[in-house]
Amino acid sequence: MTGVPLPEFDYMRPLTVDELSAILAKHKGEARLMAGGTDLIPLMRESVLRPKYVVDVKGVKELHGITTHDGGVTIGAAVTVNEIVESEIIRKKFTALWSAAKELSDQTLRSRATLAGNICNASPAADSCPSLLVLGAEVEVVGAHGKRKIPIAEFFKGVKRTALAQDEFVKAVHIPNQPAGAKSLYSKWKRSWGEDVALVGVAALVSGKKVRVAMSSVAPTPVLVPEIGNVFYGEGTLEEKIEKAAACVPGGICPINDVRCQAEYRTHMAAVLTKRVLRELLGVKK
Amino acid sequence: MMEITCVINGAARKIAFEPNEKLLHVLRREGYFGVKDGCCEGHCGTCTVLVNGRPVKSCMMFAAQAKGKEIVTIEGIGTVQKPHPIQRAFAEEGAVQCGFCTPGMILSTKALLDKTPNPTEDDVRNALDGVLCRCTGYHRILNAVQTSAKYLKEAKK
Repeated sequence: MTGVPLPEFDYMRPLTVDELSAILAKHKGEARLMAGGTDLIPLMRESVLRPKYVVDVKGVKELHGITTHDGGVTIGAAVTVNEIVESEIIRKKFTALWSAAKELSDQTLRSRATLAGNICNASPAADSCPSLLVLGAEVEVVGAHGKRKIPIAEFFKGVKRTALAQDEFVKAVHIPNQPAGAKSLYSKWKRSWGEDVALVGVAALVSGKKVRVAMSSVAPTPVLVPEIGNVFYGEGTLEEKIEKAAACVPGGICPINDVRCQAEYRTHMAAVLTKRVLRELLGVKK
Repeated sequence: MMEITCVINGAARKIAFEPNEKLLHVLRREGYFGVKDGCCEGHCGTCTVLVNGRPVKSCMMFAAQAKGKEIVTIEGIGTVQKPHPIQRAFAEEGAVQCGFCTPGMILSTKALLDKTPNPTEDDVRNALDGVLCRCTGYHRILNAVQTSAKYLKEAKK
């Protein structure tokens, strides 16, 4: 299959956000944006996608760089996953995203793959998304009719479907500062030691009594399990609450059977991972 | 047809290709056969090259994206007569069996050791995560990376 050429297209490399906007407004459905290309290229190779124009966003300077400000951190759409892994601030303050970035695919693909690409591809298994959900990220979107910000919880509309209109693109992802003392983590369950798609991925954020848990690979989109939050305002020891949190998991997800594993196993492991991540964050030994 | 200039193994090159051609296939057409064509969908890592010092799967890049970049293939780091210390370590540790993954393994090792001269085993496993080997069981490759680190330090003295 390696000798099969990709479908033909024109390659475009805009240098500014305005230029990129204009291309999208003009070509809409015929153009496909490429950040890292690590999802787009395989889809084109299988002829699932046959865009007339491939628009490489990595040439746009405004989309590069991780910037910190009073409100939090802003990650440009062209920032690679390896740049996130190398960011001290993301490692210390937004550990869930950092640990997800470290688990995303492998070292070589992370040199190309981007956070914005991971969310726009909208795979149910996307590693970065549970972390963005627990951290309350916002997606900055630019389109022909101006800018808007979409809370990450409203960004995913289904398997490989997002809230983006045809003329819109992601400019950056904003992650707000978390309360002092907040801790977060992502844990991925996969079949091999090396690169694999998550069988289940669980991210959690703990800040005093506030606990948020989100998951990948267990529903058509990455999902928050809000019921878990309520458990920690109730009565009981931490260990009892962690067990109660795990008991909320099956009701909050709807996994499928696929080539990687059965739904039943996913449900079981989602609860196990939830307990592991919460024990780690809450300092509960078992 | 498009044309770009880039640096391949230290020499400035002008290369021509169609927009839908991957860097992998263009490099092979230009005679860099050390860039192996394996799965061609970003899994196996045998097409790994260094782009501005970072290991990248060349099947996951269009040739057009190599404009102005510095590319290093396995041909650029050593020869049979004068192997790179990493190549010598791989040979001496028996880390090469069929050899198909070896260019990707060696270039990934180079990228690691250029930044991290004293890697932990975790660093090594993480750095080689993107390249699959179906022969060696990886143990000899892991040993070869540590031996490479040693040879590189000796070469600097």
